[in-house]
Amino acid sequence: MAKQYKVVHCTVNGKEIEQIVDVRSSLTDMLRNDLHLTSVKKGCEVGECGACTVIINGEGFNSCIYLAVWAEGKEIWTLEGLTGPGGELSDIQQAFVDEGAIQCGFCTPGFIMTSWEIVNSGKEYTDDELRKALSGHLCRCTGYENIFRAVKKTMLRHLGKFEEAELVNSQGITEYPEPMPFK
Amino acid sequence: MATQLLMAKSPEEAIGAKNASAVFIAGGTEVNRLGSDAAAAADTLISLKKCAGLNEIEEAGDMVRIGAMCTFQQIVESQKTPAYLKEAALFMASRTKRNMATIGGNIAALRDDSYLLPVLFAVHAELEVLKAGRTESMTAYSYMESAEADGDMLITAVCVPKNMKVVSKRYANTAQSHAVLTMSAAMTGEGISLYGAVKNVGLLYFCDLEKAFRENPDISEDEIIEMVRVCTGLETADDMFGSDDYKRYLIGVTAFGLHSKLAGKEV
Ligand SMILES: Cc1cc2nc3c(=O)[nH]c(=O)nc-3n(C[C@H](O)[C@H](O)[C@H](O)COP(=O)(O)OP(=O)(O)OC[C@H]3O[C@@H](n4cnc5c(N)ncnc54)[C@H](O)[C@@H]3O)c2cc1C
Ligand code: FES
Ligand code: FES
Repeated sequence: MAKQYKVVHCTVNGKEIEQIVDVRSSLTDMLRNDLHLTSVKKGCEVGECGACTVIINGEGFNSCIYLAVWAEGKEIWTLEGLTGPGGELSDIQQAFVDEGAIQCGFCTPGFIMTSWEIVNSGKEYTDDELRKALSGHLCRCTGYENIFRAVKKTMLRHLGKFEEAELVNSQGITEYPEPMPFK
Repeated sequence: MATQLLMAKSPEEAIGAKNASAVFIAGGTEVNRLGSDAAAAADTLISLKKCAGLNEIEEAGDMVRIGAMCTFQQIVESQKTPAYLKEAALFMASRTKRNMATIGGNIAALRDDSYLLPVLFAVHAELEVLKAGRTESMTAYSYMESAEADGDMLITAVCVPKNMKVVSKRYANTAQSHAVLTMSAAMTGEGISLYGAVKNVGLLYFCDLEKAFRENPDISEDEIIEMVRVCTGLETADDMFGSDDYKRYLIGVTAFGLHSKLAGKEV
């Protein structure tokens, strides 16, 4: 049977896009091959590793198992869209740098997009919930602790809890000071 | 491999286009995986994303009606979802996949490590299914039985009881790994109901255990473990998920634990 093509109209990183795609193309292929947004990584292509994660209408999706045609009318953000006009890093990107949450960097864009959804959700996740929320991503280098810390600290700062963010120790645990004894 | 895509606008259009060489695609987390049998065999994908009326969660008397296209995340976030179903939806730990995967897709996938089917079986969830142009109501368990014979059915909604005592347990090495066992027990009008998903074995109704608990609520853990150990109807085998003995033991202790929890006993 002949291949079928469709025109997709959507917004990618704030720009309106019109793109012809094979109806079987994944959104990863459209973003990487047609729009050259190479922060969207191809890791497993079966929804296991999270390297291809992008934000669609405010929520994280694995773009490798999302059909490009489903992007019609959607607002999509990739890592390229998080930086400022002069290339300034967003707070979540900066936190990954500050906490040493990057080694080879392959998993980083995907992790940052899911983290972006988490820190902008307005919700305070428990440590357990946060670890689970990040569990759709695989990292072969960092051992996850630094990533966890970067996300936790940024989440707390988004919630206005700047002092608490500073109390997060190297294992990602918030270490509250000993309470003052009653006099 | 599929080369054609139909964006169905209604459930009727979707079922009208269904034939042996077409597959439905909902969230796509199963169909779009490279090497998925369904996608590899089909030449047309029928996308349900634009089908009207399939993604509402609403209360209907003592039941909650969940549209087949509701995602796991919608189920987790909705205040109308019973706690036991939220717990099962959270077995899918990955947030990104919860944003994509649908309840209808999870049921139809009929996986032996299914997140939702054990609990849906246990509470005797009713499915609304569109088949040959008309809507039928059937339990999730009878859907499984008839899906094996007739795949041309579109699930449009899932109805679950609002208030039922239900407990579930899932065993996997990590939040993302395939589970060796997922089991749910519910306290229905007739007594305990007990179902599970056992990796490389299938989706199971533990009718003998259910009968044993109903006949003797004080049955001991050892008796249950022994029943499962010698059960000839259970086709467990040694594999990468564990030995035959391990799986049988796990089923026994889990069934006992869930029953005790339902009965409010300390385990
Ligand atoms: C990394 C990874 C791990 C996974 N682990 C598990 C796991 O442990 N347990 C598990 O259960 N699943 C697992 N899955 C599979 C999948 O994510 C879930 O089963 C999911 O709920 C499927 O929903 P979907 O909407 O994405 O279905 P789709 O992929 O769109 O469809 C799945 C099947 O259902 C059919 N279908 C979809 N909607 C309907 C409908 N309304 N009526 C009739 N048929 C329909 C499709 O034709 C297809 O055969 C995993 C997937 C990935 C990528
Ligand atoms: S490339 Fe998409 S999840 Fe791995
Ligand atoms: S930094 Fe290398 S895979 Fe995560």
